[in-house]
Amino acid sequence: MEQLIKDLKLQIKEALNLEELSLEDFDADAPLFGDEGIGLDSIDVLEIIVLLEKEYGIRLANPKEGKAIFKSVRTIAEYVQANRKK
Amino acid sequence: MNNNWAGTTYGNEWMHRWLIRLLRHIDTRVLYVFVAVFVIPVCLMLNPSRGIIYRYFRQRIGYGRLKSAWKTYVNHCLFGQVVVDKFAMYAGKKFNIEIEGAEQFTELTKQKEGFVMLSAHIGNYEIAGYTLVSKVKRLNALVFAGEKASVMRNRSKMFAETNTNMIAIQPDMSHLFEIDKALTNGEIVSMPADRINGSQKNIGHVFLGAKAMFPLGPFSVATMRGLDVLAVNVMKSSLRGYKIYVTPLAYDKGASRQEQVRQLSSAYVAELEKRVWQYPTQWYNYFEFWQI
Repeated sequence: MEQLIKDLKLQIKEALNLEELSLEDFDADAPLFGDEGIGLDSIDVLEIIVLLEKEYGIRLANPKEGKAIFKSVRTIAEYVQANRKK
Repeated sequence: MNNNWAGTTYGNEWMHRWLIRLLRHIDTRVLYVFVAVFVIPVCLMLNPSRGIIYRYFRQRIGYGRLKSAWKTYVNHCLFGQVVVDKFAMYAGKKFNIEIEGAEQFTELTKQKEGFVMLSAHIGNYEIAGYTLVSKVKRLNALVFAGEKASVMRNRSKMFAETNTNMIAIQPDMSHLFEIDKALTNGEIVSMPADRINGSQKNIGHVFLGAKAMFPLGPFSVATMRGLDVLAVNVMKSSLRGYKIYVTPLAYDKGASRQEQVRQLSSAYVAELEKRVWQYPTQWYNYFEFWQI
C-alpha cells in the first residue's frame, strides 16, 4: 500500500504539474480539495480519472463514487488496490 | 476581474412561453424592430454592459467615440435578435444556414474516437446544435445548469430530434464523469472555451491586443486523451441567415501536456480573433474580459 501511495503521489504530481509540491510535503491523508489541503479542483479530478484508467485500467463510471474516492491520496490508493486491472 | 457568468436567458418562464406562442404567428422581423426601438434603449440606460461593450469597441477594435457608441447599440440589437431567433427556433421557424468546413465535421464523425467542439459567446452557437449533427455520433453539449426550465425544456425537445444530449454543469462534478464517459464512448463533446466557469484554472493569451484569461478546462479535457478539436462559431449573416464556421484546431499530440494545452488554446484564440474581426458586433461577453 505504501508503495502504491508513493507511486500515486508521483503520478498525480506529474499529471497535474504540481511542481511546487515536494513528495515529502504531499501528505497522503490531506484532503485533495478545498483550502485545507492540496487545493485541487474539478479539472484535476478529470485528470486523475484519466490517469487511473491509463495506469491501472480503472474506469470510473459512477459519479456518486467520486467524492469518496478522491478525498485523499490514501482513499484513491485504497480504491486502486481493490479495483486495479493492471 | 469578474468573468463568471450566470449563463441564463433573460426573462421568466411565462415570458418565454408567451414569446414562443407569439413567434408562431408573427415574423421575427417585427420583434427585431420592437426590441431595437423599445427594449434596447432601456437596457442601455440601465445595464453596465453599455460601458463594457463601448470600451470593447474603443480599445480592442479601435473605433472612434461616435462609431463605438453606435456599434454598442448595434451589438445589443444583434444580441436581442439572436435571442429572438433562439425562441423562433423553438417556435418551429427555420433559418438559412450555410456551413463552411462541414467536411471537417463529417470526417471526424467517421472515426472511432470521440472529438471536442469548442465554441464561444459570439453569434448564436445554439443554431449549431440543431444543424451540425451526426446520426452515428451523439453530440453532448455542455450547458449551464442554472438555465431557465423553459429554455431547457425546449432545447431538450429540439435536441431529441438531432441525436444531441445536454450535460448540465453541476456543483458535485458529475458533469465531468459524463464528459469523460461520452468521450471514451467515441462521442462528440461541445463546450464553450471563452468563459471561466466552475474551475478557476485559466490560461492567459493576448487577444485583440490585450491579455485575457481563458478557461483551462476545455483544453485540458481535449488534450488529456489526445482528441481532435474543432472550433465552431455560428455567426448571424443576414436577417434570416447564419453561417457556421468549422475550423480544425491543430496541436502537437506528442508534446508535453502543458505544451499541448498552450498550442491548442493559442489556436482557439487565433480562430476566435479571426471571427471577431470578421463580425465585431457579435461579441456577447458582457463582462470585463480583458485584464487591464
